[in-house]
Amino acid sequence: MKFLKFGIFLALVAATITACSSDSDGPEETDDAFDRGAMLANWADNIIIPAYTSFNSKVGEMEAATSAFTATPTVENLQALRTVWKEAYVSFQNVLMFEIGKAEEVRFRNRLNVYPTNVSQIEDFIATGNYDFALPSTIDKQGFPALDYMLNGLAETDAEIVVFYTSNPNAEGYKNYLTTLSQTIKTLSNEVLTSWTAGYRDAFVANTSSSASGAVDKLTNDYIFYFEKALRAGKVGIPAGVFSNGTLPQNVEAFYKKDISKELLLEAINASVNFFNGKSFNGNSNGASFKTYLDYLNTIKNGENLSALINNQFTVAKNKANELNANFVEQIETDNSKMLATYDELQRIVVLLKVDMIQALDVTIDYVDADGD
Amino acid sequence: MKNLILTTSILSVALFASCSSDDDQPIVQNTVEAPATYNFMRGTESTVSFDGQTTRILMAQETANAFTDFENTTEASLLAMYNHQAGNADFSEADLNASDKNLRSKTAASYDYFFMNTSESAAIKATFEAYISSQINEVFPNKMIAATPGVAGQIADGTRTRYVNAKGLEYNQAFAKSLLGAVMADQMLNNYLSVAVLDEGNNREDNNNDITEENKPYTTMEHKWDEAYGYLYGTSANPENPNLTIGEDDKFLNEYVGRVNDDPDFSTIAAEIFDAFKLGRAAIVAKNYEVRDEQVAIIREKISEVIAVRGIYYLQAGKNKIVDGDRQGAFHALSEAYGFVYSLRFTRMSDNNTPLFTKNEVDTLLNMLMDSSDNGFWDITPETLDTVSEAMAAKFDFTVAQAGSL
Repeated sequence: MKFLKFGIFLALVAATITACSSDSDGPEETDDAFDRGAMLANWADNIIIPAYTSFNSKVGEMEAATSAFTATPTVENLQALRTVWKEAYVSFQNVLMFEIGKAEEVRFRNRLNVYPTNVSQIEDFIATGNYDFALPSTIDKQGFPALDYMLNGLAETDAEIVVFYTSNPNAEGYKNYLTTLSQTIKTLSNEVLTSWTAGYRDAFVANTSSSASGAVDKLTNDYIFYFEKALRAGKVGIPAGVFSNGTLPQNVEAFYKKDISKELLLEAINASVNFFNGKSFNGNSNGASFKTYLDYLNTIKNGENLSALINNQFTVAKNKANELNANFVEQIETDNSKMLATYDELQRIVVLLKVDMIQALDVTIDYVDADGD
Repeated sequence: MKNLILTTSILSVALFASCSSDDDQPIVQNTVEAPATYNFMRGTESTVSFDGQTTRILMAQETANAFTDFENTTEASLLAMYNHQAGNADFSEADLNASDKNLRSKTAASYDYFFMNTSESAAIKATFEAYISSQINEVFPNKMIAATPGVAGQIADGTRTRYVNAKGLEYNQAFAKSLLGAVMADQMLNNYLSVAVLDEGNNREDNNNDITEENKPYTTMEHKWDEAYGYLYGTSANPENPNLTIGEDDKFLNEYVGRVNDDPDFSTIAAEIFDAFKLGRAAIVAKNYEVRDEQVAIIREKISEVIAVRGIYYLQAGKNKIVDGDRQGAFHALSEAYGFVYSLRFTRMSDNNTPLFTKNEVDTLLNMLMDSSDNGFWDITPETLDTVSEAMAAKFDFTVAQAGSL
C-alpha cells in the first residue's frame, strides 16, 4: 500500500520534472571545439609558472634579508627587509588566485595571507617558543600579515621596533619567530613552484575534459572564488563593513604597514585582468584565455560582446580603486563610501564572471557559501 | 484505498500547480479565518507566550558554542549547562542563569514518543552527555595536534579550523544538530502538537468556554500550541511575522527551515509551515479542532521534511568534497549530517502516531556513516553516502538531487 502510493508518486514527480524542465533548463550541452589544451598551456607556461618563479625569487630575497636582519638587527637592515617584504607581498598578488594542485594541497593562500593576524597569539607563540605552522589553527599567526606585524607593528618607530630584536629579554624569541615566518613562506613557495615544473604542468595541460574535474573547470572555479572571496570581500568588502554592523578598519590587508593596501589591491585587480585576457606574465603578448574562449563562443549579453563587457567593468573597478587613499584605514575612517563604491564595481565583475561567463563556458560553480557555523 | 486516490489527486494538483507560474491559492475547505500575522488577543491582551522555548533555544546555542571554548570549558561546566539548575551561573546571561528550564529534561521527552519509553529516553540523554564527555576527554587534549585517521585533533576547512574525534566527527556539530531533533522537533511535533497534550484533561472544554489558566490571558490549549510555535520562532526578530528573518534567528530549526526554503525546490516550505501554525492557532480560537488537526499534520510533514532535506544536503556536500579530493574538508558537512540523521528519530508521519524512521532504521543509517570502516569519516565512501541519502529520500516525495541542490 505504502509502496504503491510511493510508486504513483514517483511517476508524478517524474512527469512534473519533465514537464518543468523543458522550458526552464538551458540548451543541451554541446561540446565545442575550442582548444582547451592550448588555453591551459598558455595559462601554465606564460602566466602561472612565470608568476610563481618571480614570486619565489622575491621570497628568496626576503629570506636573505631576514637572515641579514636577525644577524645584525639595525634600523637599516629592518628597512631593507621591509622593502623586500613589500615587494614579495605585491608579487604574491600574482599567484594567489591559482589555488590548484600543490597550492590547494598545502592551503597556500591560507598559509600566506590570512588577516587580520592574531597579535595576542603571536606574542604567546613568541613567549613560549612553541608553535607548529602546519596546524590549521595557526593560519592567522603566520604569512605576510604576521610579518607585517613583526616588521611594522611592534612599535611606533623603527628604532623601537629594532629593540624587540636586540635588547628585549626575549629578543631570541622574536628573531626565531621572524625567521620561521620567512622560511615557511619560502618552503611553501618552493614546494608549489617545484610541483608545477616537475610534472604537474603536464598533467594540468593534458586534463582538458569539460567535466567538474577538468583543469579548465577547476581553475575557473578557483579564479572566481578567489575574485569573489579574497579580492572583492577580503580586500574591500569586509573592512568596509559590507558584511558586518559597522566598518572593520583593522581588517585591511597590510594593516600595520598602512600605506600599501591600495597597491596590493590594484596589483591583484591587474593580475585578474591579465589572467582573464591571457596576457603573459613576462611580456605583453596575449594568448588563449577566458577572453578568447568567450569570443570563440561568440558570447553576447544585451547585444554586447561579453568579454568586452567584462574588460570594461574591470576598467571601471580599477578606476574606482584608483580614487582610494593609499591607506585604507584612513579611507574607511574619512570616507567609507568610496570603499563601498569600489566594492560595488567589483561586485559587478563577480556577477559577470559567476553568472554570465560560467554559463557560456558551461562550467558549474563547485562552491557554496558556508552557513557560517 | 479511497484515501490513496484522494491523496494522489491532491498531490498531483499540487505538483502541477508547482509548474505554473501564477500563484493560485489552493481551495481550503474550512470556516476558520487566519489572521495576517501570529497575533492573537483576548480583549486588549496578547494571548501568545513562549518564553520557555526562547530560553531553551538560547541555552542550546551557548552550550553548543562552549564545546570549542578551550580556555574556559570543563566537562563539569558543559554538563551543568546541559542540565542547568535554577540560579547556577552556567551561562553568560543572567536570565538564563535564573531560569528553572533546562535542555536535558526536554531531551527525548515528548508525550507521544517517550512517556512510556523512558529507557530509550534515558539512552538518548546519555548520548548527549557522552558527546560532552568525549569532547573534553578526547578532543580537548589534542587541540594542538593535526587529526589523522584514528587520532583526534584539528583539521582545516577553508579558513576555519575544526576539531574532530578519531573518526573525523565534530562532537559539537553532532550535539547541536541532534538537539535540533531531540529537543526542538520532538517537543514540537510529538508533544505540544500531540492530541494527547492539546486535548489533555479539560483542555477542550476549557477552550470551548474560554476558561483561561489562572492569572493568564490564554487557555491551556492555546498555550500548548504557542509552545510548539516557540521552538521554531522563539528567537525571531519579529515573532508575529517571523518569516521576515527566517533562517537568521537561531542555529537550530529556524536556521534550517530558512536554508531549505532557499532551495528553489522547496521555496514555499517556510510559508507553508508558518501558515499552518497561524491557521491552527486561529482554529483553536474558533474551536474548530478539525482544522487544527489538519494543520498539525502539515507541520509534522514539513518539519520532518526539513530535517531530511538538510541531512541529505550535507551528506551530498560531504560526498562532493570527498570526490573532489578534499576529504578533511568534508568532515564538517558530514558531522552536521550525522546530527540530522540522528534527528530523524524524532520526525513524524503526518497521518498517524508513528515515527517516519524507527529507532532501528536510524541506528542502521548512523552505523553506515560511522562504522562502515574502522576510521569513520576518514574512510567512508561516496557510495555509502549515496546509499544513506537514498534511504532517507525514499520516505519522502523529493529526490536526493533536489535535496542536494541549492
